Amino acid sequence: MPEQPPYQPEGAMAGTGMGGTMDLAASEATTLEKTPGGPEGTGPEGKPRSLWSDAWHDLRRNPVFIASGLVILFLVTIAIRPSLIAPGNPLTCDLSKALDGSQSGHPFGYDGQGCDVYTRTVHGARASVTVGVCATLGVALLGSVLGGLAGFFGRGWDAILSRATDIFFAIPVLLGGLVLLSVVTSTTVWPVVGFMVLLGWPQISRIARGSVITAKQNDYVLAARALGASNSRILLRHIAPNAVAPVIVVATIALGTYIALEATLSYLGVGLKPPSVSWGIDISAASPYIRNAPHALLWPSGALAITVLAFIMLGDAVRDALDPKLR
Amino acid sequence: MLLEVRDLHVEFRTRDGIAKAVNGVSYGVDAGETLAVLGESGCGKSVTAQAVMGILDTPPGRITGGEVLFQGRDLLRLREEERRRIRGAGMAMIFQDALSALNPVLTVGDQLGEMFVVHRGMSRKDARVRAVELMERVRIPGAAQRVRDYPHQFSGGMRQRIMIAMALALEPALIIADEPTTALDVTVQAQVMDLLAELQSEYHMGLVLITHDLGVVADVADRIAVMYAGRIVESAPVHDIYKAPAHPYTRGLLDSIPRLDRKGRQLYAIKGLPPNLMAIPPGCAFHPRCPLARDVCRTDVPPLYEVSAERASACHFWRECLHGRS
Amino acid sequence: MAGPEPILEVSGLVKHYPLTRGILFKKQIGAVRAVDGVDFTLGRGETLGIVGESGCGKSTIARMLVSLERPTAGSIRYRGQEITKLSGRALKEVRRNIQMVFQDPYTSLNPRMTVGDIIGEPYEIHPEAAPKGDRRRRVRELLDVVGLNPEYINRYPHQFSGGQRQRIGIARGLALRPEIIVADEPVSALDVSVQAQVVNLLAGLQDEFGLAYVFIAHDLSIVRHISDRVGVMYLGRIVEMGSDAEIYEHPTHPYTQALLSAVPVPDPSAREQRERIILSGDVPSPTNIPSGCRFRTRCWKARERCAREVPLLAVPEVFRPAAGPASHDSACHFAENLSTTRSAPGRAVPPEEPA
Repeated sequence: MPEQPPYQPEGAMAGTGMGGTMDLAASEATTLEKTPGGPEGTGPEGKPRSLWSDAWHDLRRNPVFIASGLVILFLVTIAIRPSLIAPGNPLTCDLSKALDGSQSGHPFGYDGQGCDVYTRTVHGARASVTVGVCATLGVALLGSVLGGLAGFFGRGWDAILSRATDIFFAIPVLLGGLVLLSVVTSTTVWPVVGFMVLLGWPQISRIARGSVITAKQNDYVLAARALGASNSRILLRHIAPNAVAPVIVVATIALGTYIALEATLSYLGVGLKPPSVSWGIDISAASPYIRNAPHALLWPSGALAITVLAFIMLGDAVRDALDPKLR
Repeated sequence: MLLEVRDLHVEFRTRDGIAKAVNGVSYGVDAGETLAVLGESGCGKSVTAQAVMGILDTPPGRITGGEVLFQGRDLLRLREEERRRIRGAGMAMIFQDALSALNPVLTVGDQLGEMFVVHRGMSRKDARVRAVELMERVRIPGAAQRVRDYPHQFSGGMRQRIMIAMALALEPALIIADEPTTALDVTVQAQVMDLLAELQSEYHMGLVLITHDLGVVADVADRIAVMYAGRIVESAPVHDIYKAPAHPYTRGLLDSIPRLDRKGRQLYAIKGLPPNLMAIPPGCAFHPRCPLARDVCRTDVPPLYEVSAERASACHFWRECLHGRS
Repeated sequence: MAGPEPILEVSGLVKHYPLTRGILFKKQIGAVRAVDGVDFTLGRGETLGIVGESGCGKSTIARMLVSLERPTAGSIRYRGQEITKLSGRALKEVRRNIQMVFQDPYTSLNPRMTVGDIIGEPYEIHPEAAPKGDRRRRVRELLDVVGLNPEYINRYPHQFSGGQRQRIGIARGLALRPEIIVADEPVSALDVSVQAQVVNLLAGLQDEFGLAYVFIAHDLSIVRHISDRVGVMYLGRIVEMGSDAEIYEHPTHPYTQALLSAVPVPDPSAREQRERIILSGDVPSPTNIPSGCRFRTRCWKARERCAREVPLLAVPEVFRPAAGPASHDSACHFAENLSTTRSAPGRAVPPEEPA
């Protein structure tokens, strides 16, 4: 057969041949978009391109992704090593300087307790990023495992999980936070993270369940089953990689909202508690002085807004890149 | 000529570049005539029809040249309002997938009646009467009762009849049917095709039948235009093309159908794949797959040569193809 | 029917899907009778074609043959061994020998896996089939066998066209060297010019590896081209069965006759002479199958007996005395020989007294 060239594509190999009989013009148009690579992407020397590397290829050219990515990279860096740009101690305060404005070495001025706003804003990133990342990881893990199993095994599992998600959806987040977290005395971030995971997982589990059910219906899953593949193999090799994209997208966007939620809870006094340093705490402390010292409020809330926005925009960019309709 | 498409060009902008879906298509249909546009997926046959109907998605699509003359007027120069008036009353379209082309939350009676209310200004009550008439005309049993049913309550064949009824409602001069029977079973296919042919001759309409099925074409068409990579490669009266194709692509398609008298193990197969529309081969687009290809085919785009008064072929070697096997 | 030694024997195969109502307390209110009593055998190296319209149950049969669904009743024997009740290791063993090729090349390949991983997966599931160090070489060999460049081993499915993807699916089916391949509409999603390539490939592979095919399709001419024997299905049952010449040239069941006459013929000169049997109405729902002969609601020959008595799939009485092409299994009380001697498939003269 090697000397028989017919099946070897000439140069540009991936033709536009879509499902032959289904030839609605609409599908012709989507076919065009689907056609992977041009001649350059799939020529004789063409590299294998997985869907992930295609997505990465798109992301790298997306200015929204680059901008939000840079902001997030900066945030993560200062969350890990705040002393890199703010060597001072956020807990060292001087009441005599309370509410003073900007001065040399202290560009953001002082808050109501006489603490340096710049140092506190920079150090506050750690709490926000930690809560956001940990809560997202927990939610994504718990939600996708529960939702994935329910979607895969269906029946009883599914019925139980669906009722459970309904119950958790019915709990108002703020009220639940006020009730549950007010009894906690710990000053670490973990109670807040735990609370977010507890209330957040149903969101992801619904998404995961849906995308597992979609993936499960593909013929390649049947093909693996017909070969005698075990359930765990089918789940890990065939379903998970095809179902994970929507979970990633929703989780990225959720990360921003968790950061905002942490600030909200801290503002209400049930989130992080002093001596922790957090934007929410600072916003709460500065709000009485909004008329005579707006700078103390402006900087931590500005940082919070930028962070939340960055994560939501990142999630949008990732969704565009992974959107199955474009692929 | 009822409809005349002249040198139509359509492009699609995609993330990987510009796809040239239609590259200079010309065809014409007379009243009472059936023109079959035959081709495989991606050859541009449906895109051409959408451009004619004015329902092409723009963007990503873009008409970059040509004319679409309908009853002497160039549709591409009309304002959207005027085009909308022509759609439905002047020309109508039948789609492959009737289920998605009908609105699932409205009864079929409402959808059929809508046409009369909007275009003819009839009252709801009169429109309902006309809807029942139409359903009877396309032979839906128990039309008077079924007029209140929703699209999903009908079988595939019956839904396609409703589509035909909708297309006929305003008695257009031209119907474009895009793979009208592809989604149907063989026995139902025959019913629907017969109905369509019968109504066409009754109303003396022009019919553009878009299909990939050589069998359906042979049954109903008067003329055939074969498309490949966004061009017409051969056009001829139906009898001539089956007797002696004048383009190697047409010949290959005809030969690759399994037939009783040639039941061997080996079917004739056109080698290779349809071209990528973002990198259509230079010269004749078919040359990489063509058994007759020579140097000139790789460099010169073949014009539509006149084979006879009624036939044309876009092959440099149409004589060779016409007389004798390759 | 005496052919090669049978390797697959199917008898009394039934698949019903219960219809239930209620969320907590499920009550069965009926059943979709997708497959309703099917018998056939498949010989070694033979191709059995199964044709029928959508919803006739042909795909359900395919899934039961490869143990993706368990039958409600009936048996499937592979080399004498009952396979419908197997599980675990014994089932895995049988699966090595009965593989499937799917209809849709766009959903049957995992888009996140490379072609090499897809075709090599059978070896990972059945490690005893090929030693670890040898798998890569075998995958390349398989790519070559199905007419793809072995260099493409690291590419992903979306880099291929429909026809090429179907070749990848076929290579995966071949990997374990099965004896039987069940092909469910393997070319219906492909373009006309590519269909012929894939049909040729399947025919070539059969000769090369001595495969037996169960070839399921709705396209009568393709089934005829590739099959040794053909079964025609209607509403969950085989209504007529015989060699390809018997079915296509001497159909005796009215449904087969109508089906063949409805196939469009790529020959415009036949248009005028050809007379078609146009069936009225639609296929009844498989939840509500007519009594007696299930085709009677659309049949122009139906009489009272048809509503009363289920016709069995056997050689009809009228044809029993004389051996001949009309003397083959047909489930009709009033079977008639309609000999069609045309050059193209799918033409039949009209019945003598069209109702």
